[in-house]
Amino acid sequence: MSALILISVLGVLVLYLGLFDKKSWLAPVSILGLLGAMALFISGYHIDHELLGGMVEFSAFSIGFNIGMAIITALIFFFGSDYYARQEHHVAEQYALMLFSLVGGFILTSYTSMLMLFIGIEILSIPLYILAGGKKQSLRSNEASFKYFLLGSFSTAFLLMGITLLYGLTGSFHLEALAAHMASTGTGDMVQNFGLFFVVTGLAFKVGAVPFHFWVPDVYQGAPTLVTIFMSTVVKMAGFAAFFRFIDITGMPDALARIMVLLTLATLLVGNVIALKQTHFKRLMAYSSVAHSGFLLLALLTDHGHAAGHGDAIGHTLHYYTFTYSLATTGLFILFTIAKRANNGAEHNNIFQGLFAAKPWLALCALAMFLSLAGIPLTAGFIAKYQVFLLAIGAGWLKVTLLGVLMALLGIYYYIMVVREVFVTPEEPVRFEVSPLNWVVVSVCAVGVLVLGVWPGLV
Amino acid sequence: MELLALILIPLLAGAVLLFARPEKAARGIALVSTLLSLALVLWLWYTWTGTAVTGISHDWVPAWGMRFVLGYGGIGLLMLILTGVLFPFIIGTGYKQPVGDPSLVNAMLLFTQAALFGVFLAQNAFLFYIFFELSLVPIFFLLMFWGGEHKRAITVRFFLYTLLGGLALLFSIAYVTLQTPAPHSADFAALAALHLPMSTQVWLFWTMFLAFAIKMPIFPFHSWQPETYTMAPTQGTMVLSAVMGKMGLYGIIVFLFAIVPEGAQHWSSVVIGLSLFGALYAGVIAFRQNDLKRMIAYSSMSHLGLMCAALFTWNTYGISGTLYQMLAHGVLMICLFYIVGAVSQRTGSTDFSSMGGLKTRMPRFALLFMFVTANAIALPLTQSFVGEWLIYNGLWQWDNWTAFAGVVLIVLGAIYMLYAYQRVMLGPDREIAVTDADDEEHFFLVPLIAITLVLGVFPNVILHLVDGPVQQLLNSFTSLP
Repeated sequence: MSALILISVLGVLVLYLGLFDKKSWLAPVSILGLLGAMALFISGYHIDHELLGGMVEFSAFSIGFNIGMAIITALIFFFGSDYYARQEHHVAEQYALMLFSLVGGFILTSYTSMLMLFIGIEILSIPLYILAGGKKQSLRSNEASFKYFLLGSFSTAFLLMGITLLYGLTGSFHLEALAAHMASTGTGDMVQNFGLFFVVTGLAFKVGAVPFHFWVPDVYQGAPTLVTIFMSTVVKMAGFAAFFRFIDITGMPDALARIMVLLTLATLLVGNVIALKQTHFKRLMAYSSVAHSGFLLLALLTDHGHAAGHGDAIGHTLHYYTFTYSLATTGLFILFTIAKRANNGAEHNNIFQGLFAAKPWLALCALAMFLSLAGIPLTAGFIAKYQVFLLAIGAGWLKVTLLGVLMALLGIYYYIMVVREVFVTPEEPVRFEVSPLNWVVVSVCAVGVLVLGVWPGLV
Repeated sequence: MELLALILIPLLAGAVLLFARPEKAARGIALVSTLLSLALVLWLWYTWTGTAVTGISHDWVPAWGMRFVLGYGGIGLLMLILTGVLFPFIIGTGYKQPVGDPSLVNAMLLFTQAALFGVFLAQNAFLFYIFFELSLVPIFFLLMFWGGEHKRAITVRFFLYTLLGGLALLFSIAYVTLQTPAPHSADFAALAALHLPMSTQVWLFWTMFLAFAIKMPIFPFHSWQPETYTMAPTQGTMVLSAVMGKMGLYGIIVFLFAIVPEGAQHWSSVVIGLSLFGALYAGVIAFRQNDLKRMIAYSSMSHLGLMCAALFTWNTYGISGTLYQMLAHGVLMICLFYIVGAVSQRTGSTDFSSMGGLKTRMPRFALLFMFVTANAIALPLTQSFVGEWLIYNGLWQWDNWTAFAGVVLIVLGAIYMLYAYQRVMLGPDREIAVTDADDEEHFFLVPLIAITLVLGVFPNVILHLVDGPVQQLLNSFTSLP
């Protein structure tokens, strides 16, 4: 509870700082607060096991995810002090909204009641609808905000529908009750299957699984880059944590497994294939995000056949995967912003040209992070994908895994195309201006994926 | 510890070059580093007692069977010798035929060497895979930066092609690791002890073989090879053809023969058929080439096809011959590509049309080239003769028809090599202003030619190394149900 309260109060505090025009304090105070929250999580100070009448439960799984999300948010805020340097107004709101959204994320990793699932998703999403429209004068930003809001509300309706059906069956929002009901009645119940299906639909929307991915490229492209980072990292972590908690407690009956296989196949295929042709970096990262959701779904799929609530290995894999993916994505988007500024606001993949000639270290960092996303050995991305394949093969999904392996190859292709640009020396040297703080954050991300790739036991 | 040093020496030397960028001293540092590695390899050879050695064994991620185990047996030692002996020459090529920024080029070459040592030392399938893939990354940059025409497109194709095989291998490793009793282990020893059911081995063979078939390459997985070899800078081509192609053959021995022996036996006629067909096909194409470098690329593919076929004949001759030929072929490729580089440096092109009649202007170079050609067509007293003779014996024991294909290949090899020699060196003097081989080129080629002749006369030095392991392999086959 203490960490939840801390972050919520921190958000309000940041709003007040904005009121008094203390723009330079925003990032430091927020980061300090996040560090405090991490300390609370690690020390366990007033982090009760059960909260709110047992509707929220902080287990090792959720605390791991929460710390991961807090670290990524802190990295984003480090970047924020530079990103918002030229913006005069409404900066405090951006920080505050992200903090509020993070609280939603904390709830999503630790809910035990479907009511809290719904509340968590709403707390996570509503600030994002506003954040996506952060650039008020930009048409694309407004489009992103509106699109995200409409589709997001629509998917929430599905989620609620599912929760209602399941509530109707069990008379309780509690996941344990759902698990007990499913254990006693078997799997044939149509109402129950529909309930599961609708909840999964709502969650699949949040993680950008095909066919609920249509918002991803447009929103990623239109939203301010910093918000895009937040959406592709923290929101994804929270989304998959929530997805896992739900899937794991149901024990994934056959009907659900069938839906999940379709989701996984479609996401792997569509995400990777469409990413091949992307030349706009943000859209590329959007489809790559969808593609990575595919691999994560493959990990979720392996819960089929486990006894309910016994997917610890899967939870750990999801945590490792999403965290290392977030590290690489954060660093790359920061480099993207740097390159975008050097190229007068262009967002094409080729803005990275000349990076190696101008800033060799940052180019090597970019290389490490792209290779991590692509899944080349000695990077964390490789270990993450390998873990997923191990799980999937272990659970007997051989053919789906083979498709995943092929799709990983496509992934290597589109990342390598950008890596190639990094090492091109253009005719005229490009000037990349890098603030020291950004340099540090990018280096931390790059070194992070390498260190976690060599010592996977650290996460 | 010395095994770790083998990986660390080139790695650290490469890092020094990459970050300090000593333009002038770069080649010297790289050469010293490779000579150090060579000394270490020779010392390992000298102290070799005939039993498998495990140097380092360390847990990494025990839950997935990942362990950091380095060691070597007779075959591994042969591969180490191959890598150790050839890399000083590959670095040395840069003195006479410089390309790009010397610190960066040599750093990439040293990183490749570190990864290759890793591949040949790894005693854990997962570790093998990591080094196997890592060796690609520096090569990628070598080709991307300093390749020839169309380098960007060709490099990406090469990279993806080999990674396709790599990922299939990764899938297989994950699968077999999970078949070991818990706690899982991906050590080769543990994997070799698995007796997978035949129905599994039949498909697992292909997911593993794909990686090595692409690496060598074997027909029909070869389409990346000619263009990549032609486009790559000389040193890159040397690494690819002389050492990395051998990774494929080595992989077949440590993976396919150890883990899926019955699958390998089941498919051996198919593989031999493909390999021999590919060898003939590449030989015919090599004959028709108008570009010297491309011709040698195809001839390399032809030789590798023959070696792969002999490996699957399951007899002492075939397997020992292939192992011996790996070393011979490595030395040969270094010589040939060095000569291509030297000639094209003088004439400005690798096209046959820009050559001809060079012998009158460069008699000493012509003589050196003649020695190398003699090795390429496997004349007696050269290293290739020993290897190819053993290989034909092996093929003969398998079937008359494969032996017949082998004979056709000998003739074909002699035709295209001599034809190439003729088009480069012989004929009327076309008054192309070229200089004869200088001291540096003698210094490079004479030791290599000496190696071919010495090992051509005393092949037992190498064959002794692999005798034991080959017998072991064959015994494990005959004990199969």
